[in-house]
Amino acid sequence: MNTATVVPIEHVLVLAAVLFTLGLTGVLVRRNFLFLLISLEIMMNACGLAFVAGGARWAQADGQIMYMLILTLAAAEVAVGLGLVLQLERRFGNLDIDAANELNG
Amino acid sequence: MNSADFLAMLPHLVLGVAIVLLMLVIAFIRNHALTATLTALSMLASLLAIGPSLEALPRQVTPLYIFDAFGAYFTGLILIAGICTVVFSYRYLQGRRGDPDEYYLLLAIATFGAITMVETTHFAAFLLGLEILSISLYVLIAYPEEGHVPLEAGVKYLVLSGVASTTILFGLALLYNATGSMAFQAAERALTDQPNYEVYVVAGNMLVFGGLAFKLSLVPFHMWTPDVYQGAPAPISGFIATVSKGAVVALVYRYLIGGDGLDNDALVTALSAIAIASMVIGNLLALMQRDFKRILAYSSIAHLGYLMIALLAINALATLDFAVEAGLIYLAAYFAMTLAAFGIVTLLSSSEQDAGDLEYYEGLFWRQPWVAGVLTITLLSLAGIPMTVGFIAKFYLFGAGIEGSMYTLLWALIVGSAIGIFYYLRVIFIMTHRPESTLRNERPVARGAFAVICLLGLTVLAFGVYPTPLIVLVGMAISGMGG
Repeated sequence: MNTATVVPIEHVLVLAAVLFTLGLTGVLVRRNFLFLLISLEIMMNACGLAFVAGGARWAQADGQIMYMLILTLAAAEVAVGLGLVLQLERRFGNLDIDAANELNG
Repeated sequence: MNSADFLAMLPHLVLGVAIVLLMLVIAFIRNHALTATLTALSMLASLLAIGPSLEALPRQVTPLYIFDAFGAYFTGLILIAGICTVVFSYRYLQGRRGDPDEYYLLLAIATFGAITMVETTHFAAFLLGLEILSISLYVLIAYPEEGHVPLEAGVKYLVLSGVASTTILFGLALLYNATGSMAFQAAERALTDQPNYEVYVVAGNMLVFGGLAFKLSLVPFHMWTPDVYQGAPAPISGFIATVSKGAVVALVYRYLIGGDGLDNDALVTALSAIAIASMVIGNLLALMQRDFKRILAYSSIAHLGYLMIALLAINALATLDFAVEAGLIYLAAYFAMTLAAFGIVTLLSSSEQDAGDLEYYEGLFWRQPWVAGVLTITLLSLAGIPMTVGFIAKFYLFGAGIEGSMYTLLWALIVGSAIGIFYYLRVIFIMTHRPESTLRNERPVARGAFAVICLLGLTVLAFGVYPTPLIVLVGMAISGMGG
């Protein structure tokens, strides 16, 4: 069997947490809607990675199944998101979400 | 799966099949009235299917779903809210540009997501339900073809709700890593059983509750609420305020009851602080609004803060049943009041603009006395005046709070309600102003939407005077709770 050193579960989770934080920072810092969608995607994939790590730790298929569900969900979300990108470009003339600030909040 | 499983799933199957049929019908015939009627009828059929399904309950169908009377109660509430939203939407979309048909399809799908969410204790099914609901809502909010405001609201909701969903997901992933189980019960019990992984469990729970607090628009995760409510079409604002929040509340109940309640002090303290902040800040900010939809948004923030009392009362295990009862009654009252309020906003909206600004309500008593009367009842009920269901609901919350000796929360409830009375009465006061001119060009009142609003107003009054049927219903829901 494979005798290579197994990566400890903590390392994978730390990597996932770092990815998640990077994505969150992207959402908070970026103002371009397209980049917001990309950052959201990074956050979702961080969740997927953490689930796959869990599946490996418990030797269950559930983690991978969750990853597939997350993938589907991300695709659906991006489909709607890109539709909104087109509408933003058409109605506001750019993708800067600060241009859309007519709601006083 | 056997026939009893299918019987238990009947309301969901009916709505699911109806959605597919609706999609086919839209592909061939585009007719606003037909689509709206079919959508309302499919939800009605699903609602009626709850009756025969009851005899198969409670039932665990695959590890993913648990069908019980508790879920049936929420399914019923959500479907009724869905039907009301369809009727309001028909009025709202009449005379607007663009195809209205897909709107109803999305509404039916969102409702389907919500009723899926209330019947599960499993991560995967929860994720599916939540996202079917949320992704349909992104589109529904940004649906109107004209104007910048709905699009802006849709974009804001997509980004913020997406962040909240991923936060919940990451929390769930940590819990799965710590426990090796995708069931909510295991996640809660792990706090005591798996000391080695406690840091994951606590962090996971914090992330999950943070995300859920966003979905419930509790302070400090409430920033999106007023903007989205103001920008979205009025019926959709009502739908988000009721269905989307009701489904999350059902889920939180299952999460807390399935485990041993909240036995982590840090978590209880954090949730109490969130509840108090929501009650006080929600009501204070509502005082400063000039837009009725924003007032309703802040009022819903405050109401969800009140509801947190019932959720936190579960912690005192002796009052478990009473805490759930208080929460379910409060939620039913909140559904009726909120739907009536947003229904009236829809009724007063022109085909160009939503009736947001308070000037739309000036002199309403002189122009449309019946609508003004129902709105008065609704607002008094939201404020918690006796003889309305809002009072009964608050009374139950108070009882639950006292039994759980949560006096700080009760003080916040009292202070919040006192501030609340002020801004609700302000709207009523504005309605009594005699209008200076009667030039405002008004659409004729739509009979369907008007009838639904009157029914909701009657419900608010009837259960306020004679709440026994509601209490019996809630009692049945709690005694039939499985899992």
